[in-house]
Parts: sequence; C-alpha cells; structure tokens
Amino acid sequence: MGESSVLWLRVAAGLYSVGLIDAIITVVRRREGLFRIALAAFGMGALFQLVSIVEQGLAQQQLPVNDIFQTMSFCAWIITVTFLGIYYRYKAASLSVFIFPLVFVMTLVGALRNPVSPWSNPVMRSTLLAVHVVATLLGYAALLFTAAAAVVYLFQERQLKRKQTSGFYRVLPPLGTLDDLISKSLGVGFGFITIGFVLGSIWAFVDMGTRWIGDSSIAIGFLTWGVYLSLVFFRVSAGWRGRKTAILSIVALACCVATWLAHAQLQKRLLQ
Amino acid sequence: MKLLLTGLSHKTAPVHLREKLAIAEGTLPQALQDLQRMGAAEAVVLSTCNRVEFLLSSPDHMEPGPIIDSFLDQWKGSVAPFDGHIYRLEAREAIQHMFRVAASLDSMVVGEPQILGQLKAAYAVAKAEGTVGGLLETVLTKAFNVAKRVRSETGIGQMAVSVSYAAVELARRIFGSLKGQTVLIVGSGKMGELAAKHLHRSGASKILVTNRTHARAEEMAKLFNGKAIEYTRFAQILHEVDIVIASSGAPHYILTREDMQRVIAQRKNRPMFLIDIAVPRNIDPGVNEIDGVFLYDVDDLEGVVNANIKERTKQAEQAEAIVVHEVDAMMQRLKLEQVTPTIISLQEQLEDIRAAEVTRTLRRLQGMTAEQQQRQIEAMMETMTKSIINKIAHGPISELRRNAGQPEGNQAIELIRKVFHLHS
Repeated sequence: MGESSVLWLRVAAGLYSVGLIDAIITVVRRREGLFRIALAAFGMGALFQLVSIVEQGLAQQQLPVNDIFQTMSFCAWIITVTFLGIYYRYKAASLSVFIFPLVFVMTLVGALRNPVSPWSNPVMRSTLLAVHVVATLLGYAALLFTAAAAVVYLFQERQLKRKQTSGFYRVLPPLGTLDDLISKSLGVGFGFITIGFVLGSIWAFVDMGTRWIGDSSIAIGFLTWGVYLSLVFFRVSAGWRGRKTAILSIVALACCVATWLAHAQLQKRLLQ
Repeated sequence: MKLLLTGLSHKTAPVHLREKLAIAEGTLPQALQDLQRMGAAEAVVLSTCNRVEFLLSSPDHMEPGPIIDSFLDQWKGSVAPFDGHIYRLEAREAIQHMFRVAASLDSMVVGEPQILGQLKAAYAVAKAEGTVGGLLETVLTKAFNVAKRVRSETGIGQMAVSVSYAAVELARRIFGSLKGQTVLIVGSGKMGELAAKHLHRSGASKILVTNRTHARAEEMAKLFNGKAIEYTRFAQILHEVDIVIASSGAPHYILTREDMQRVIAQRKNRPMFLIDIAVPRNIDPGVNEIDGVFLYDVDDLEGVVNANIKERTKQAEQAEAIVVHEVDAMMQRLKLEQVTPTIISLQEQLEDIRAAEVTRTLRRLQGMTAEQQQRQIEAMMETMTKSIINKIAHGPISELRRNAGQPEGNQAIELIRKVFHLHS
C-alpha cells in the first residue's frame, strides 16, 4: 500500500472515531450525543477512504481486496456508504450506534497493513501495553456489573410479573435503577473495551508487524468486541431489556473470559 | 413516683365511647391543668380517633387512680359508661403500653406512622403547659426513641397496606423514582382517583385523564394540574405513558394484547405499569405476558396488601422483642434512679465522718514539733482510722443489738451480714 493511501486511510479512521465517541455518549446518556457532527465526520471519512481505495486500486491495477487489511477497509467503506444511503432515505439514526464503532474499528485495522519500524522507546511500548490492559480490564469489570444487573433485573421482573411481592423481592433494587445501571455500565464498559481494543491492535501492529492479524487470541478479542457492540446496539436501538439483555451480556462476559485466557497464552508466547 | 396509664382504644371500646371520652384539642391545656390541680405530679393526654389515654405520675404517698376518677367525674360526668372498656396500667405495664403505642404496635393498622406524630403533639402540649418534666419526660422521650428504633430495625412501616398505596409501592419497584413519570387515568372511578393522587404526591409529574364524558375528564384533570385527553384519542398517546390506571365502566376490554404489543414496541420495551381497578376489568389479562408490561388488577393489588400485612405481622414480632428489651432497660434505669438519693446520702455521711476525723487529727498535729509529729504519727493514724470505723459501724451494730431476739430481727441481721459480706 502506498504511503499516501495509508495516510488517507488513517485520516478516515480519525474522522470515524468521532462516530465512536458519539455512540458511547448515546449509550451512557441515553440521548443523542454528537450525532450531527459525527455524521458530517463520517461523510468526510468516507471521502478520504474512497481516495485511499482508488489510489491503491490504481497502484495495483486491480480492486484492492488482496488481503484481510484491504478487504476490511473496502468493506468498511461499503458499510459507510450504505449507512449514509439508508440514513438519507429513512433517517435511521439509531443504526449509528452499531455502524459508527464498527466502521471505525474496521478502517483502523485496514490502516494497520504497512509494518512500521519497531519501538524506538521501550517505555512507550510498556506504557501502551499497560494502558491497553487496564482499559480492557475496566471494560470487563463494567461488563460484569452489566451482566449482574441484567440477571437481577430478570429476577425482579419475574417476581413482579408473577405478583410475588414478598420475601426476596423487597431487597432487590427497582427495575428502573437496574436499567439505569445496565445502560451506564454498558456504555462506560464499551468505551473502555474499545479503547483497550484499539490500543492493543496498534501495539500488536507495531510489535508484530502484520502477523498480529492472524493470531487466534486477537481474533477472539475481535469477536468479544463484536458481541459487546451487538449488546450495545440491541440495547439502544431495539430497547432490549430483561431476558435478552441478560443472555447477551452473559455471552459477552463469557467471550471476555475466553479473550482473557487466550491473552494469558499469548503473553506466555511473547515472554518466551 | 407512681405511674398510671388509663384510657380506652379501638381494641377495647367502640367509636361512640371513644368519642365520648375524647378531649378536644382546644380544651387539652385546661384538662392538663385540671389533672395537675387535682394532684397529678405530671400529666399527658393522648386523644386521637382510635384512642384516648391519660398518662399520669403522682408522688409516692398519693394514688393516681382517684385523681383520674375525679377528673373524669368532673369532665365527663361519670366513669360508669366506660366501665369494662377502660384499662388501667401501672408502672412497667404502663411503660410497655406507651412504647407499643409509640412504635405503632397497638394501632389499628400496625406500623402506621401517624400515631407517633400524634403522641409527639400530645407531649408538646403537656410540655408547653408545664405538666411534664420528670418521670413522664423520661418515659416519653424513651418511647420516641423506641419508635425510631423499631422503624429503623424492622420493616414494619415499609409496606403498603392499602390498595392505592400498594399501587404506588409497585410503581416504585418498577420505575425506581416516580419523578417525571406520566400517568394516564382512564375513567373516573374513585379508587382510580385516589391511586392517581398518591402517585402524583409521590412525584409523578404529568397526569393525563380521559373519560367518555370529556367534561368529567377535565374536572378530574384540574385536581392534579393535569390534562384531559379525548377518549377516542387515548390509545394514540399510550406509548408516552408510563402508568395507566384503568377504572372505567366499560363492559369490555378497552386495552387488548395487540394494542399493548404495538405500544410497547413504540416505547422500545421501556416498562409500563397498568393498574386495572375496574370491575368488569378494562384490560385484557393476557397483556401481562408481554415483556415490559406489568398488569395488576384489583385482586392482585389486594394480594399485595395481604402479603404486606402478613409481612408487617412478622416484623411486629421483632418489634415486640425490641419493646420488651427497652422496657427492661427502662425499669432498670428507674430502679437505679429510686436508690440514687440513698446512695448520695450514704456517700455524704461517710465523707462527713472522714472529713471530721481528718480535721481533728490535723488540729492535734499542729501544736507538735516535726520530731514529735514523726513519733506520734503512727499512733494518731491508728486512732483516726479506729474512730472512723467505730462511727461507720455504730449504726449497723446498734441495729444488730436492737434486733437481737426480736421476731423479725433475723431479716435485719441477714441484711447487715449481706451488706458487710460476712460469710461465717
């Protein structure tokens, strides 16, 4: 990939990151965040990405989908254009909660194709890794609260439905409080886990070159982030509560545990 | 001091007797003054719709019973109509009763909070009239503490025991805070109005009212600073509503499962609380099966109330144990207060003996040289301590001699042996 096409792609990823911030604000505050600004940034991002893709295509004299990085970038651009079309036609703003973070992450991955020179400063290497680990663990902790609150919500909801209003029911928090806790912990957790994921990807890219994308533990990380993103999306756009949220948050938590275990193995390999 | 509590309550007398014995608020100061004038050292009168009680203390030499009898003769003509209904409790029983009343354990609805306020008001009047300030002050202050302890350590006052409050309690379980919630009243039933009133007071800010007769809806909406909605239009705004109170006279369901499925989808599954207090029911019971919809009809609300009453009874058992414990502690404290004057005078007497002997010894030492003092000090200490012992022992020894050979003498002898720990 040419230097300038990578630069355009990175500019596009930067613009898409506004969308990610908007998605997090929307989840935490349960109202539209920076949607207008994010949408404008998204449009501009699509433009820069198109320039990058065209440049790559001209350089290679073929459609630039030769590896996973290029495919990711191309796919992200198609999703962006489709979303803009859907938004223009249906004004379906709620989809942005899913699309903005997804496009940002896919574009970011696409922009990590060209290996860069290894760490010039070892402190930078360890700091970035530490921030990645802390942010990811904070994200897991928040998800744990989300899952716990979702299970209690389920129990309280069942008690209220069955009209059993004595005993254990009294010590459980009201559904409204649990719902608020779920929304906030989900939003904050998603923010942390995304930061952790982005920093982890960048770290792995600098440290391992392009090999990182093929690592199974990183693939599990992708999957976990995807499940988390789905949870956020269904929560915000479809208003998932009760059983559905409880199940999906437990699945997300299980994915987090799997990612954690996979990374423990990865750490061993890196240390060897 | 003697303590008497007398009166009648919903448990012992019907309302026509309670109202006969009641002391009107305006005449309460006069009643208290009269009780004091008749010989009561202290007096508090608690007069509510469910009980009329007089709490008196009198000096040890005076019985409080005749004081209250003459008061009732003067104020109510005669005690006779209340015979068999009036209770008289003394000392420990009176204190226990007062604690139970304050803690709302003797109330018609156990755990209701009003009685504590009424008792505090009765105490405030007595305080203002100067008819409380010793024993009754101690008992009542403690009663307020006991009530507070019972409320904080048991859940006696936490559960709704009326249908309308049960609705508020359930709304709180669903939404947490009711602030900002929108309530829609369908129909104009009294019970619906009452439930809406409680919800409004608990923070539900927006009240919408709909009725087949729009004028009636407007009338009711005014009560809550709410808004009247055309009956034909209410289904269209349902997705904006968090709580629906249905109490219309419609002979069929006005909200079906299909209606609510559409509404809940529009609300993105945000929970909705439906209260159907109409008979025949206004809302299809199948609605409760929809995720996020909580439907309670009259029987369900009654069920909640009954469960709460059962729970309150359980909590009341715990509260009774707290009361008994506090009464024991209070009695112990009062007993200690009874012997306090004796303890003080005993300490004073012993101190007088000691001080007199020390003064006498110092006076004798004054005329001596340092050398003489050195030689005499041992003998003088001996004399001083012997003198102190003789003076202290004088009383018990005289009593022992006086009681020797007397028929009741053994008791005094045993007591002295016990006091001086004489085991052999």
